[in-house]
Amino acid sequence: MSSSPNTDMDPITEAELLMTRRQLFGKATLGVGTAALSRLLTLGGMGGVMQMASAMEGPGHHGIAGFPNFAPKAKRVIYLFMSGGPSQLDLWDHKPKLNDLFNTDLPDRIRNGQRITTMTSGQTRFPIAPSRFKFSKHDNQEDGIMVSELLPHTAGVVNDLCVVKSMWTEAINHDPATTFIQTGSPLPGRPSMGAWVSYGLGSMNEDLPTYVVLHSKVSSGKPNQPVYPRLWGTGFLPSQYQGVSLRSSGDPVLYLKDPDGMDRKTRRAMLDDIVALNHKELEAFGDPEIAARIEQYELAYRLQASVPDLMDLSKESKETFELYGEDAHEAGTFAANCLLARRMVQRGVRFVQIFHRGWDLHANVGGDLPSQAKDVDQACAALIKDLKRTGLLDETLVIWGGEFGRTVYCQGPLTHENYGRDHHPRAFTVWMAGGGVKPGIVYGQTDDFGYNIVDKDGNAINPSADKFTPGAVHVHDLQATILNQLGIDHTKLTYRYQGRDFRLTDVYGHVVKDLLQ
Amino acid sequence: MTPIRLLFPASLLLLGYASLSGQGTRPKSPEVNFGRDVRPILSEHCFKCHGPDAAKAAAGLRLDSFSGATAHLADGSAIVPHNPRASLLIDRVSDPDPLMRMPPQGAGVSSLSPAQIDVLRNWISQGAKYEKHWAFVAPKMPSIPTVRETQWPKNPIDRFVLSKLEAAGLKPEPEADRDTLALRAAQTLTGLPPTLEELNAFRHDNQPGAYERYVDRLMSKPSYGENQARYWLDAVRYGDTHGLQLDNERAVYPYRDWVIRSFNSDLPFNKFAQWQIAGDLLPNPSTEQLIATGYVRMNLTSNEGGAIPEEFLARNTFDRVDTTSTVFLGLTVGCAKCHDHKYDPIKQKDYYGLYAYFDSTQDEPLDGNIALPPPFIRATTPEVEARLTLMDRRLRSDLEAIDVDKATKWFEANRQPPLVSHDWQKSEVSSFATFDEAFDNPGPAEPGQVGKPAWKPLAFQLGKDFPNLIGKDNSFVYVKGTFTLPKERSETLQVGSDDAIKLWLNGKLVHSHKITRGLADGFDTVKVEFRAGDNELIAKVINAGEPDGFRLAAGQPGDAEVDKALAALRRSPKDQTARRELQRAFLEYGPETDQAGAYRKLEMDRTTLEQSAPMTLIAREMPKPRPTFILKRGLYDQKGPAVVRHIPSALGSLPASLPNDRLGLATWLIDPSNPLVSRVFVNRVWQQNFGTGIVKTVEDFGSQGEWPLNQPLLDYLSVSFIQNGWSVKKLNRMIVTSAAFRQSSRISPQKLAKDPENRLISRGPRFRLDAEVIRDKALKGGGLLVERIGGHGFKGYQPDGLWEGSSDPASSTHFYVRDRGSDIYRRSLYLFWKRTSPPPVMVTFDAALRDTCIVRRSTTNTPLQALAVLNEPSFLESCRTMAARVLTTSGSDAKRLQTAFELTLGRPPHPPEATLLLRAVTRYRGTYQKDEVAAQRLLNVGDSPQTKSAPIADQAAWMIVCSSLMNTDEFLTQH
Repeated sequence: MSSSPNTDMDPITEAELLMTRRQLFGKATLGVGTAALSRLLTLGGMGGVMQMASAMEGPGHHGIAGFPNFAPKAKRVIYLFMSGGPSQLDLWDHKPKLNDLFNTDLPDRIRNGQRITTMTSGQTRFPIAPSRFKFSKHDNQEDGIMVSELLPHTAGVVNDLCVVKSMWTEAINHDPATTFIQTGSPLPGRPSMGAWVSYGLGSMNEDLPTYVVLHSKVSSGKPNQPVYPRLWGTGFLPSQYQGVSLRSSGDPVLYLKDPDGMDRKTRRAMLDDIVALNHKELEAFGDPEIAARIEQYELAYRLQASVPDLMDLSKESKETFELYGEDAHEAGTFAANCLLARRMVQRGVRFVQIFHRGWDLHANVGGDLPSQAKDVDQACAALIKDLKRTGLLDETLVIWGGEFGRTVYCQGPLTHENYGRDHHPRAFTVWMAGGGVKPGIVYGQTDDFGYNIVDKDGNAINPSADKFTPGAVHVHDLQATILNQLGIDHTKLTYRYQGRDFRLTDVYGHVVKDLLQ
Repeated sequence: MTPIRLLFPASLLLLGYASLSGQGTRPKSPEVNFGRDVRPILSEHCFKCHGPDAAKAAAGLRLDSFSGATAHLADGSAIVPHNPRASLLIDRVSDPDPLMRMPPQGAGVSSLSPAQIDVLRNWISQGAKYEKHWAFVAPKMPSIPTVRETQWPKNPIDRFVLSKLEAAGLKPEPEADRDTLALRAAQTLTGLPPTLEELNAFRHDNQPGAYERYVDRLMSKPSYGENQARYWLDAVRYGDTHGLQLDNERAVYPYRDWVIRSFNSDLPFNKFAQWQIAGDLLPNPSTEQLIATGYVRMNLTSNEGGAIPEEFLARNTFDRVDTTSTVFLGLTVGCAKCHDHKYDPIKQKDYYGLYAYFDSTQDEPLDGNIALPPPFIRATTPEVEARLTLMDRRLRSDLEAIDVDKATKWFEANRQPPLVSHDWQKSEVSSFATFDEAFDNPGPAEPGQVGKPAWKPLAFQLGKDFPNLIGKDNSFVYVKGTFTLPKERSETLQVGSDDAIKLWLNGKLVHSHKITRGLADGFDTVKVEFRAGDNELIAKVINAGEPDGFRLAAGQPGDAEVDKALAALRRSPKDQTARRELQRAFLEYGPETDQAGAYRKLEMDRTTLEQSAPMTLIAREMPKPRPTFILKRGLYDQKGPAVVRHIPSALGSLPASLPNDRLGLATWLIDPSNPLVSRVFVNRVWQQNFGTGIVKTVEDFGSQGEWPLNQPLLDYLSVSFIQNGWSVKKLNRMIVTSAAFRQSSRISPQKLAKDPENRLISRGPRFRLDAEVIRDKALKGGGLLVERIGGHGFKGYQPDGLWEGSSDPASSTHFYVRDRGSDIYRRSLYLFWKRTSPPPVMVTFDAALRDTCIVRRSTTNTPLQALAVLNEPSFLESCRTMAARVLTTSGSDAKRLQTAFELTLGRPPHPPEATLLLRAVTRYRGTYQKDEVAAQRLLNVGDSPQTKSAPIADQAAWMIVCSSLMNTDEFLTQH
């Protein structure tokens, strides 16, 4: 049980060194400015700065000392976020017994007094709405898994998926639930997961952002529920760690394009003038931030070339487009975004998040869910296959899921063909692939109503965030597990703000070892 | 003597050993200061398990108090004063066995360094004195330090700074040159560069006190208040939208304008604070005092479908408590939501004691997705109020000029007898799926319809509200009454309805108005012709949603008042109220004379002026406070014991003379004996001016915060701030006129090594400017800046799709429609602030998002910032118009370059810079002369007109040179 620390360096000396550096630079200036400053110190004065300014080094931030904490299984993350809360009961969590219970009342022992939203709390009945969609069995590494007819392509890659049917969250409305799963707190103000990763691990490339966010078109035309920059923001972390939103129309990165009427030669000449002016200021004032500014202008210049190159899908093969489907030709579709995500991880982007909206189906599940599923199904499968054939899947963790699930009882009018479902935080399905998670498995199960998480014997588990509950995966557990795959101990990635060491998982979260290889 | 001690003879032995050898033989150990040296170690490494959180006190040991640390526990005492060897604390933290060593592995805190253990050892040797945390002890005026270099100090600040510098063996930098000083002071005070006139006046003022005069001039400009307001608006998280889910617009900008006015009028900070927290509870609060309470309403709100009001009540209140404690107390009490604070003496009960001050305001927890969730008021500014008073005076003197007898005679001659009605009845209620159907579908009471409604008598009276006729949504009811007249007569009816209305008189439709409104929202005026004999009036009242009602009055507006006044005057001819009423009615409804015309116009102007003032959210207290409970783990549905309002016990208790409500809380905060409020604020003002606070953790004065690097300086500023009547202007003036502030910001290698962050103030301030200042400077240089104070936020240039792509289509801020005309050139402070998608350039340059309280922005240095200044339209447009200004400078390129430098960097170029950029302008001109199409395309940016008086290649070339200057570090940096 005891293990002596396996380090070459005396831990006390290391801590002291770290502390000295922190005292010197202060945490708020960690980052480019600090990087420049520390190099300035090692290079010994102004002469060093002048040399250094011409020897550029990428986006500058290479993580904080001691991270990763251990050898990572995944170097990159692609998080496919289904905003609004996809219906697990119509996609993944097959409940055949419900067919006999159509329009009967949800038993009180199942709801067990749990709170429900004020959208359905006024209903006089909670009638059961069985899924109208057919499920069929697909082989995986275990006993196979039942998948809805709405996901034919994804069903074809279940052998690579680790499907978690026992996710749960504490928030019951979109804004708090989405903020919770993205930032670890239902209240705004905390850094997003991608920002934490970007802060802890830094950049892996020379000319692209570390954390990129993509937004997808919704073919139903009903992108209900907002997704806004707070969800990929930095909260109290310095803003350089925020997700950069790559847009499918206009400038992909805000203000990337030079103004009309200015060619690249003129831009270069102008930047050279700026560099020369800044050098003179540096000589006069000796402020290392000036050297850092020079670097950032050079990086901006490189971004102007590297981002359009990234976005240009014209050199992708016919086979690739066949894999992702016709949609991938149209910028801004989920399919095109998945293809871009693969190109990004190839280029060393560490954290990619793709948002797809429109899953908040309080009504018309029968009408709208097929189109939602069609938007994402083929591309999800394509992304897995593509990452696999390019050898990237092993070190890329792919996650698919929303902020909560949907109720088994119907909201609004109920027929066999159509029904609505309210928010359900107590059990929902996400899947992961690659990045050291077990392929082809199913983790966790729910009762016959898809309402409560149960153990293998069917007994309801009442999970708590305070302690790890085997069989159930809390949002903080998912976050801890994702960080773990990146080589991060989620209890160690902290940031001192307002006198407290904050972390993504607050004071909760456990790595779910059963999901890992 | 206790039995426990006998059980542990080893301790005794050690004690004896220590007392024999401890004193005398060793050199005297350095004096340890508990707050500065010891508490941070205990707080960082021990308090997580042995701190103020009583529930977590592992092994029953608490190290946050002398009694706790010296208590006898199973193995002895953690601390035995004067005896480190007997103190188990030292044993445990230095135990060579990692399994035995404290803090334990896996506790998430690191082991102590030998240096830290030495500190603890010395502290125990010196008696292990616990002192109250520095920030919880009220500051006293410190003595002004003596310094060796007596020529340098200009005011007491400098002596405090210099004493630190001298102790560190550093000398201050010489004063910055005048141009630099002029720019620095203007940027720090007003957020703008000086005007050319201001600059030249200062440059040529050779009398002593020139700089002080210049500073005073800056502080008298309205832009001073605008710039000071920015920091405050960050702290209170001001925004123009609700901030969650739909993120609809919120109407509260009069609060922002009040903050600006307050800084400009130098409203004492104690009042500034009190009005915001509790203006509504002051006796007879003024409009300004009520506007100020917008502070309480500034929390994020939502009305998401399915949201549970109780949950949002808790969230909203958390937001208020956390913000108030950070803004005013510099304490982060948020941890105590779930458990006693681990580092500071804030108990969970204390958190909910504060919470109880803020959870009983009248506003609903859910905002209804509307811009003005009540309560709100019309926010007339003091200027408007003064004009209204003037108008009222004129209206009154017009009234007084009216001869009452003449008016009486006129009314008696011209009045019709009052209309009388009888036999009022109503039908049953009919309900529909939608409001439209209810409005459109005819019922049996209408002409031409089959059947008859079942009428029931109704106690309806003319001129009185009749609410709750219907009681259902999307439903209607008929009301009918009879008017019996001796002869035919034209009449005006005033019809109020909740919501829509249709009227038939004698079977003829005379009025139809499809509207959703309340009875208080005004009425329709309907002209009708009554016949002699009986007249039947039928009204159909259609209700969209609760509540509902109907009101009908007959005659000219004012008839009722005139009748009442005439009757009163008949009883007693001296009745002043009645005389005044009749005079007013005579001018309003009497004969059409010039006098009456002027009066009516003035009255209308008055109404227009009053109604031009926008509405703004305010706080109002509920008549009876809600009961408050501890919420376990901060969960709204996990209620613990009940809590009464109280301030954190570590800070004392509210004096009995104060009311136990927000007003009492506010009054306690601004009491001069409060140890935190003044310090916390002056520290933030210091940060505004120097880039870093004296306590760097401006948001945290608790034990996890930084120990003040120069506490005497902080205390001096804090005490003198109160002595100077809480004047923010005096505080700013003292800082900005100090020699410390006026130093050159050059960083010598020696100082870079010894004072890398300028915490000792060994040089002048140097930090990247805030987002707002960078944009405003650019516009100012381009001559575009429109300096209009206050008003609705404006929407400037913004890439397409930012709002549309991130918001719900149902949001009132889903579509971004940018403003046209001069609005888009206003100061950045007035940018419309959508909290879920704030203006992108601002965010790129680290502006606070305004969704949580931010008192310290980060200052990053990123490629996205470079792209913004290089390519964003307002920057490019400013360069274009700046080029036009440059080209009006007659003479050589060299002269023009000088103008370009003045407009961007506020100084003339140095020779190498001139050489570089003159070569550049020649090169660009050559390029664009060859390609005028490209030149024109470059110049097409922005709405403002393009000059015709210069060749386009010249304009394009100078535009690029101006852009180069605008992208220098010097432009972007306070220096």
